Amino acid sequence: MAFNFNWSPLIADTSRARDMLTTALNKSPKPPIIVDDIIVTELNLGSVPPELEILEIGDLAEDKFRGIFKMAYTGDAFLTLKTRVQANPLNTYLSTKPSFASPQPLAASSGLTIPLQITLSDFRLSGFVILVFCKTKGLTLVFRNDPLESLKVSSTFDSIPFVRDYLQKEIEGQLRVLFMDDLPAILHRLSLRLWSPEYTEMDDERVLNTNKDATVPIDPLASPAQDPVDAFGNPIDESELSSLSLDSPTETHASFSQKNLLRLATLKESQRTLSLFTPSLRDTVFRAWAGGIDRPESAAGTPQLTSSTLSRHHSSLATNSSAHSVSDNSDTGTSSSRPSFIGRSSSYHGLSGSRPRAHPPRQRKKRVVDLRKNKEDGTESVSTEASTPAPSVAGSFEPPSSIPEEKEGELTTPPRSPNKAVRFHSRQVSIDDLDTPKTEERQRHDRAESTNAAINASNALHNALLSDLESKMPLHRHARNAHSTSTLPLLRNYSLEKLSHAKPVPPYAESSSSSSGGILEQAWMMKMANEIARKVREEKMGEAGSDGFWLPSEDVDGPPPAYAA
Amino acid sequence: MLGFMDYVQQAFYEASHWNHDNSYGALTATAKALLDFETPPGLRLNLSSLSSPNFATSYTVGSVGVVDGSLSYLYSSLPLKTESKSSDIDLYHVIRGYRHAQDLRRPDEPWWWEIWHEGKRIDRRDTLLYGRLFLPRSSLEALYLRRISPTRQLKVSCVSDSSLVNGGTILALLQNDYGKYSTEYLYSTDSALFGFRGLYNFGLDPRKAAKLSTSSTAAENIAIEPTYGRFSAGAELYYGILNKSGGMSTGIRFTTLPQHTGFPYTMTLTVNPLMGNLSTSYAVKAGRSLALCSRFDFNVYSYESDLQMGLELWRRQQPTGTVDWAAKMIRADWKKPSLRADEDISGVLKARVDQNWNIGILWEGRIKELLFTLGASFDLRKRDKIVKGVGVELQYSS
Repeated sequence: MAFNFNWSPLIADTSRARDMLTTALNKSPKPPIIVDDIIVTELNLGSVPPELEILEIGDLAEDKFRGIFKMAYTGDAFLTLKTRVQANPLNTYLSTKPSFASPQPLAASSGLTIPLQITLSDFRLSGFVILVFCKTKGLTLVFRNDPLESLKVSSTFDSIPFVRDYLQKEIEGQLRVLFMDDLPAILHRLSLRLWSPEYTEMDDERVLNTNKDATVPIDPLASPAQDPVDAFGNPIDESELSSLSLDSPTETHASFSQKNLLRLATLKESQRTLSLFTPSLRDTVFRAWAGGIDRPESAAGTPQLTSSTLSRHHSSLATNSSAHSVSDNSDTGTSSSRPSFIGRSSSYHGLSGSRPRAHPPRQRKKRVVDLRKNKEDGTESVSTEASTPAPSVAGSFEPPSSIPEEKEGELTTPPRSPNKAVRFHSRQVSIDDLDTPKTEERQRHDRAESTNAAINASNALHNALLSDLESKMPLHRHARNAHSTSTLPLLRNYSLEKLSHAKPVPPYAESSSSSSGGILEQAWMMKMANEIARKVREEKMGEAGSDGFWLPSEDVDGPPPAYAA
Repeated sequence: MLGFMDYVQQAFYEASHWNHDNSYGALTATAKALLDFETPPGLRLNLSSLSSPNFATSYTVGSVGVVDGSLSYLYSSLPLKTESKSSDIDLYHVIRGYRHAQDLRRPDEPWWWEIWHEGKRIDRRDTLLYGRLFLPRSSLEALYLRRISPTRQLKVSCVSDSSLVNGGTILALLQNDYGKYSTEYLYSTDSALFGFRGLYNFGLDPRKAAKLSTSSTAAENIAIEPTYGRFSAGAELYYGILNKSGGMSTGIRFTTLPQHTGFPYTMTLTVNPLMGNLSTSYAVKAGRSLALCSRFDFNVYSYESDLQMGLELWRRQQPTGTVDWAAKMIRADWKKPSLRADEDISGVLKARVDQNWNIGILWEGRIKELLFTLGASFDLRKRDKIVKGVGVELQYSS
């Protein structure tokens, strides 16, 4: 294994680094002795690169790297600073004191500013460096210990030994702070600009979005860390929901470019090697990005959602490559138009925590094999997605709020016990015709396996249909959003399966019953829901023309789960 | 414009016969008043009261970004019989402008202060206590002022603020004023700073002059030449023990006395030999309501220089035409009973400009019962942000 560090481009152009260093030096409140801006006039990284010894590599992926190095530097880098200092000690002393208790000297505090030029050279550094690289979060470089061994300070006052010694001491102290605190920050910002110009663009867009929305909606992709809250079944406010559902139509604005697809392919290729080079992808959010806490919560912006879902597909592709049921996402991406792709992906992720895959209208069943998910079973568990009669229902199941259920953490860790308990509860409430959920699951699993092979082939067609239907029925989708928040992912999953068993019934019936308490209200909602559902069903029958066995059942609208009340 | 509490402190100095101007620190008071005035930041309201001759309170509410304010209380053991209503306060007392140097006053004899009662001395030293609490930043200012003897005064000022090093600072200042010369010794807890200031007035010693006039005959008195001006020289010296650094300056001043027949003027020169700083100022009272001042700074080490110019213009109300004829008919020796020194003053305009085109303008005066200060500062070099700050300060006192 070898790494190739290229030192020469770093020394070619240092103007940007110089500017950043200047701003960094002037940002923090300066000591009163410095009366002017500190300007970095010269910055040369030298021709001798630092020696790096790899001690440990903790994480290595195409968009991630974490390692510990031992660094030693005895190069010829130098740095020249220019500023003006106040030479009168009384002046600097008084400038920080309140005037009420100041001696208020007449002229003894008059200032004498002296231009000062300091050159730092002959750096001797050695220390342990922790380097964390992440495509989203940029480069984080931390020194574990104080790396500065020695340096040479030459200044305007070299002829005065007292001042020279003082400066040497002060600057060494300041540099230690710089290496430990400021340098990581500067490098981080530089890396963000260098590797992900989209980051800033998206930042801007996010800011715009935030400004537009009076209520700040929660972006499920931006903060998947909050997902457990959702999984426990805690309801989200109606206001938040409405804002979320209002945002979702923007998803359809995105478009796919051939160039990005090419880059995706390259990225996929690069995974097979240890090359640190990863092509920069425009409008792409990686798994690690989505985990960023620092991102604004609102951000329901188009590129974000789409790209993050994309990246999810990508990551699932990487992790589930052993599972035979996983379809090649890049293929579907190319064959389908982007909006439909988005809709599909988000909908499936929203359906359950077990990452259901696409179910085309003709092949109504699909299953996903997750090797990591159900550790409590001890076996490889397969959750099947009994598909609804038409893709539109599936589409309706995709509130943005439920998307975070599919976050990275959930993929790798088994659900926690409280989650499980709630799930069981929900099963009892909503599914009364099943003996045990597990057996049901197994059965479905078996069923699914048989139909699995045909799924991939029909993905593209399904996508197109799905997007079409989605655009037609925003109301439906909205109602579904409300429903999904009040119920658990698994419950939703089951209810959906139930739907497939029996008569077609509105998904909203459940949502309304779970959210509202009044009988009248419920009845009205039921009526409305039934009507809409009928329309939907008719539409689907017309389009898909498939059997009634998988149609949504009516027995879903049982009593609402107790926890969601 | 002086704040109400500063005004009360001035009244205390006056009542206790302390010449505040006879100090090295006040050597350039005229130039400072004309060139270094502060423009008020934002809106500031001041409500004050001298509720009894010994006790004063003042409340301030300001809005600089956030609403802040201060409460201050003052106690004086010496009854202060000064005008406290803002409608009656003499504007010349609260607005600092050109300072007319007065004849030096002979210090009180110590036995003048003695009060005996039944064979025991019962006189107490005059003391002033002052405290001010700033909210919401919770900063406290305190002042202790004591006239130890007719020629000596102790002033201790403290600031308590959590943002300061060690949580606060104390400054002790011991002042001696013998008329002919004055000395000050100071100590600040910040970096253990010691300081000394001294001022010497050339010319006749007021103590001897007083004795001379009492002992000599009238013929000898005529022989004494009246003095038209006063020449003073002073120096200051500081040394901080903790940071092992010091500072010093020397200065001279010539100012005309009221006996001077021409227009009054003041010239100062201060030199900081350590830092190579030279500062000269020239102020002239060009008319009854106009004063001009210029100051030139130069540093012999860094060749930096600065030039500042300022003026002070007192605006007087024109006598109304309807009573003009009546005013003319008044006998010359008839004194109007209610005429004050600032009867016809409606306000003062102060303006300054320096070589970097920093301009400050201040308009001070009285509307009805309120004293107001309206100020603005500009920077003509910055095209995008010419106005640096505008502020209004209103004071009401009773």
